[in-house]
This record gives sequence, C-alpha cells and structure tokens, in this order.
Amino acid sequence: MTTLIVIDQAPYGSWSGREALDMAFSLAAFDQPAAMLFTGPGVNWLRKGQQPDELGQKSAEKNLSAAPLFGIEALIADERACQQYGLSSETMLSGVELSSNIQELLNGHTHVVFAS
Amino acid sequence: MPNSLAYTLVITGAPWTTQAPQTALLFARAAVSAGHKIDRVFLYGDGVHLASSLNAPPSDETHWSQQWADFLTQHGIPATACIASALRRGLVNETEQARYELPANNLRAPFEIAGLGEWVEGSKAGDRTIYFHGGS
Amino acid sequence: MNPHPTLHILNKTPEHPRYELCMQALLPSDTLVLIENGVLSIAGAQLNAPCKLYGLKADIAARALDTLYDSSNTVDFEGLVQLTQKHEKVISW
Repeated sequence: MTTLIVIDQAPYGSWSGREALDMAFSLAAFDQPAAMLFTGPGVNWLRKGQQPDELGQKSAEKNLSAAPLFGIEALIADERACQQYGLSSETMLSGVELSSNIQELLNGHTHVVFAS
Repeated sequence: MPNSLAYTLVITGAPWTTQAPQTALLFARAAVSAGHKIDRVFLYGDGVHLASSLNAPPSDETHWSQQWADFLTQHGIPATACIASALRRGLVNETEQARYELPANNLRAPFEIAGLGEWVEGSKAGDRTIYFHGGS
Repeated sequence: MNPHPTLHILNKTPEHPRYELCMQALLPSDTLVLIENGVLSIAGAQLNAPCKLYGLKADIAARALDTLYDSSNTVDFEGLVQLTQKHEKVISW
C-alpha cells in the first residue's frame, strides 16, 4: 500500500493543506509508505523563505521540511503548476521532485487522497 | 470479486455547508443493503461538525447528524471524529473537556474521538476507503 | 493496458481547479462518476471524458438534468456501490 497525499490549496489562506500534511505524517508514523503531491496553488507550499510570524501561523515551509525526517518518501511538485506560479529550483525547497506526468504519478500509488 | 467488502468511509465536508455527509449516508445505506460491511466512519477536517450534539436545524429540515447517529447505532458501526480536527473546531467529549478544562462537551453518541491512527488502520485493513469531500 | 482501472468520483463543477486535474488523470480503462455538483458539468462545459462516464441519478434529478443524461449513463447509489466494488482503486476528487 502506497498513499499519495495531494495538496492543491495554497498555505496560510486555507487550513486544508495542514490537515493533508498531518495525514501524510500519520501514515509515516504508522510505517505506511506515503508521498505528497503539490499541484495547482498547492505548489506555493514549496516556496523558500516563508515568514508567517506576523500572521501568527506556523511556517508551512518549516512544517514541510520535517517531512523526510518523519519518513515521508517523496515530495513531488506538478511541473506545470510550478511554472504557472513562477517557481524554479532556486526559489523552491530542495529535495522536491518535479513531475510532468500526473497520470503516471497517480497510477503509481495504491491510494490517492485529498484532505478536503 | 468477493461479494462482501469491508469499507471505511471518510467524510471531510461539513453538514449544512457541503453535501458530503448526505452523499456519504446514502452511500452507506446502499452499501449495507448490498451486504457490505462498513468497518468505520472517520470524520476529518470540517467533517467533524457532523458529530456535534448541538446541531439544531429547523424541524422541517433533515437532521443529518441525527440521521447519521441513528444509522450508526442501528448497524453497530463505529464512527470516529479526528481528535486534532475536533479540538480545533470546538468538538469535545467529556474526557477532552476535563483535560482542557472546557465549560462544556458536545460529542453526539455514538461518535467517538480518536487520532488519525484509526484512519490509517482502516485504510490498511479494509478493502475500500471512500472519501466524501466538500464540492463547489 | 492499465492493470488497475480507477474509479474517479468527481463532485466539482468545471470551474473548480480539481476538475481539470481529474480530467488530466483519466485513462481509457477508467470509469468516471459525476456526483453532487459534478453532474452539472454536462449542462455547460464540453465534457469529453476519454472513458466510461456515469452521473448519479439523485443528483441529476435534483438539478433537473434528466434530459441531458442517457439512462445507460446514470447510476443510483446501489450502482455506485457496485462500481466501488468492481474497482480496487477509487479516487474522490
């Protein structure tokens, strides 16, 4: 069983990405293989240099950087969405894989799950 | 293809905001009628609002929380609201009320509160996990 | 040939970003079921699903779309349960 957790909403303006991240962390905590796909506005989770202190929210970037430590197997970004939001390898967190073939990605996982 | 499968249903859309709990209930009834087993219903995110005992819609409207509670009780199906989602949204049982020294509790029976582990377990052990999200 | 055909359950209108993502994901061997507001996509947009397509009867009837769906392209909840039984993999969009 491998699960792909999909985040398609931007951080800060919506809570659902955080709850998606919790699902991924939970799977990993129970030794279930989990990967995450960022697509649409969700790719903005991956932008380097987020400073949400004034908003009073925890940093999505910091939350996400713990993913490999927790045992999440891969962070994958939809290449087209990255282009759309002007994200390049310089502006993006390191260790993120790019994918241009959504069909292949979805087929490669037993479960594909959105958090909301 | 086996005739009877074990389902976990996950509801992430809130009642009276989305159609998700209604669709899920009609699906659950049909699944049970067809001889399938529903191992567990898991409420996540805004879906936890379904488990509130304080929902009080006008009497000429369907009471989704009540209908769900009746269905779960009738068929002995366990239902869990995710604890992290529930506490943030003001849905607590007696235990959590005491732990956080809150003025009230509002979890509707037979719903329970537990962690995401229940969802992981259900997805791992069952045959199908079906998600009911909010629409647009 | 895809060894595990997927059942896609779509409850979004075409304006929702996830609608487009779902369309991208469909393979010819898959099955798409439109439910809730998803059934509206047949009224407005050009829906060109590359695979088998069904709409959920109750949602179609509620929205007065009966004339837009062939009866062979609709399922009731019993039929939806059967589709989830037939498909090992189900994605709710």
